[in-house]
Amino acid sequence: MLIELKDVNKTYNNGQPLHVLKGINLSIDSGEFVSIMGASGSGKSTLLNILGILDNYDTGEYHIDGRLIKNLTEKQAADYRNRMIGFIFQSFNLIGFKTAVENVELPLFYQGVNRHKRHELAMQYLDKLGLTDWAHHYPNEMSGGQKQRVAIARALITGPKILLADEPTGALDSKTSEEVMQLLSALNRDEGVTIIVVTHESGVANCTNKIVHIKDGIIGEIQDNRTHSASAFGTATIMK
Amino acid sequence: MRDLFTEIWESVRRNKLRTCLTGFAVSWGIFMLIVLLGAGNGLMNAFLRGGEGVATNTMKVYPGRTSKPYDGLKEGRRIELDDKDIELTSGKLFSQYVDDVVATVGTNAQVSYGKKYTSGYIEGNYPSRKDIDRIEVIRGRFLNDKDINESRKVVVLPQNMAENLLGGDGAVATGAQMGSLHLGAEGDGKKVDPGKLVGKYVKIGGLAWKVIGITKSDMSRNDNLFYAPFTTVKTVYNKGKAIDDLAFTFHGLNTEKENEAFEKEYRAAVNLYHRAAPDDERAVWIWNRFKQNLQMNKGTKILSIALWIIGLFTLLGGIVGVSNIMLITVKERTHEFGIRKAIGASPWDITKLIMAESVSITAIFGYVGMFLGMLACQLIDKTVGQSSVSIMDEKVAMLVNPFVGLDVALEATLVLIIAGTIAGFFPARKAAMVRPIEALRAE
Repeated sequence: MLIELKDVNKTYNNGQPLHVLKGINLSIDSGEFVSIMGASGSGKSTLLNILGILDNYDTGEYHIDGRLIKNLTEKQAADYRNRMIGFIFQSFNLIGFKTAVENVELPLFYQGVNRHKRHELAMQYLDKLGLTDWAHHYPNEMSGGQKQRVAIARALITGPKILLADEPTGALDSKTSEEVMQLLSALNRDEGVTIIVVTHESGVANCTNKIVHIKDGIIGEIQDNRTHSASAFGTATIMK
Repeated sequence: MRDLFTEIWESVRRNKLRTCLTGFAVSWGIFMLIVLLGAGNGLMNAFLRGGEGVATNTMKVYPGRTSKPYDGLKEGRRIELDDKDIELTSGKLFSQYVDDVVATVGTNAQVSYGKKYTSGYIEGNYPSRKDIDRIEVIRGRFLNDKDINESRKVVVLPQNMAENLLGGDGAVATGAQMGSLHLGAEGDGKKVDPGKLVGKYVKIGGLAWKVIGITKSDMSRNDNLFYAPFTTVKTVYNKGKAIDDLAFTFHGLNTEKENEAFEKEYRAAVNLYHRAAPDDERAVWIWNRFKQNLQMNKGTKILSIALWIIGLFTLLGGIVGVSNIMLITVKERTHEFGIRKAIGASPWDITKLIMAESVSITAIFGYVGMFLGMLACQLIDKTVGQSSVSIMDEKVAMLVNPFVGLDVALEATLVLIIAGTIAGFFPARKAAMVRPIEALRAE
């Protein structure tokens, strides 16, 4: 198993203690394309933050590739994030004063890869995502879909074990959303990238092969969706 | 390294005005520091200029009046120095420290040359007093050993006396006779070359004395003081054993404490010889140039420290400004730092970014300030440095070489780097502590 969560609990202590994750048990294998679905307040964002080593949990165990992720120093956490996890955010989170290619290079910069090599690699990834012409444009000169593709290139460049997508289509129109989801599917199918998508849109979840439902901090149904027939709104489109 | 500077440049470029305004405060601080230190150096150089190239390890002893009754004698008694004091000084008691002892003896005398005459004080002196008293010979020579040994009747006259004797016009001599000194430079019209008198004979006390040299007039001393060999004056004026004062050079007294201990011991010995209380500080006056120099050095050091402090405090304003701006920058870039952390930036990567930016701003603007400060020093040298103040008709330069040395430039560089680091430290720590999830939420 690539990802293993055993009885993970998380409580926020902001005034009144808020028990957000109440014993999460989840296993995700390498090469899976999983969505985590839930309403807002269900704890899915917290789960994503823990999966992405952006936040820590109180009790339980979290293993990536057999490695226990617990009580890491900031430096270790940063290093693991850098090497094992690629992030795709709803609001793209590109750095505005850097060009597309510079944004894509950045994770390699933190690995200490030299300028030349990382530029070459970044251009390769942009090429793969059809953005060669946009390499030297700034994010504010690009469309949402283009920005998200830049973000995907940035997430992929380190060759991470897991791609974590937090509402990747949340800021996109339905046509672009579909393109992005197809892109993710293709990455999973053709290159075997493990992808976890967090969403509250059933249409988006339907694009994935496995849907994990989370409600009130507990994992409910885990739905096998290899037939892509889970959408309440039909299987053909992503409904907005 | 290049990546780091690219990042800094990107950040600075987005906030040009803000960076420049903050940088100006730093420039100003370092500018003030350099100008203050430069002007301070100029002042100190002007101060110390007179002391260049003279023997500093000298003491002079003058007679005074007793201030305490002692040995059955009342206070207020006038002390007169004599041959015995010379023997005492150069004798076994102080031979460990004392090198060369010279005495003076003198009397009021009238000098005449042709029809002109002027009155002054003839001082029997030794060649080595030239260095001790900082006598500056502008024409001819000062006394030498042969003059002493052969008791030659030779005199060294000060410039103004020589000018009076040569007399551009008659009024001068009359003025001199009145006792009020008339200066050659005062514009009687014609200027006379005092050097013309060298080799000529003047009459003093009915005897003919050969003028061998002219000294520079120095308003800080009696200007009608002129010099002749000690032995000659002693014989001609029948002075017997009495002397006016004595001076000696010494060695081996390196600290103020050692000097004071020696002075105390020496005073006691001299006082006892004159039957005055050993601790009577008024019976004889001891003037120690070495000690004075030590104190002056101490003074200049204190001045320099004071200037550094003022300069550094001015700089502090700039540093606070930089720190403030960096805090704002950190706040503005919280989201960006969140992104960076999410994709793998360690806290140190973020810290480095802010620290480097802070040090760069401080250093670059600091150097601009330092450069301008040095230009200002040049300007000061060209303007104020060229002017002088007249103190008792003596031209004294206000500032001499008002520059800072390479050492100060290096020290200032160090100060800038430290300052930049301090200015960046707190903002950088704040930036490094940003939690990625919170930072990503901030928009």
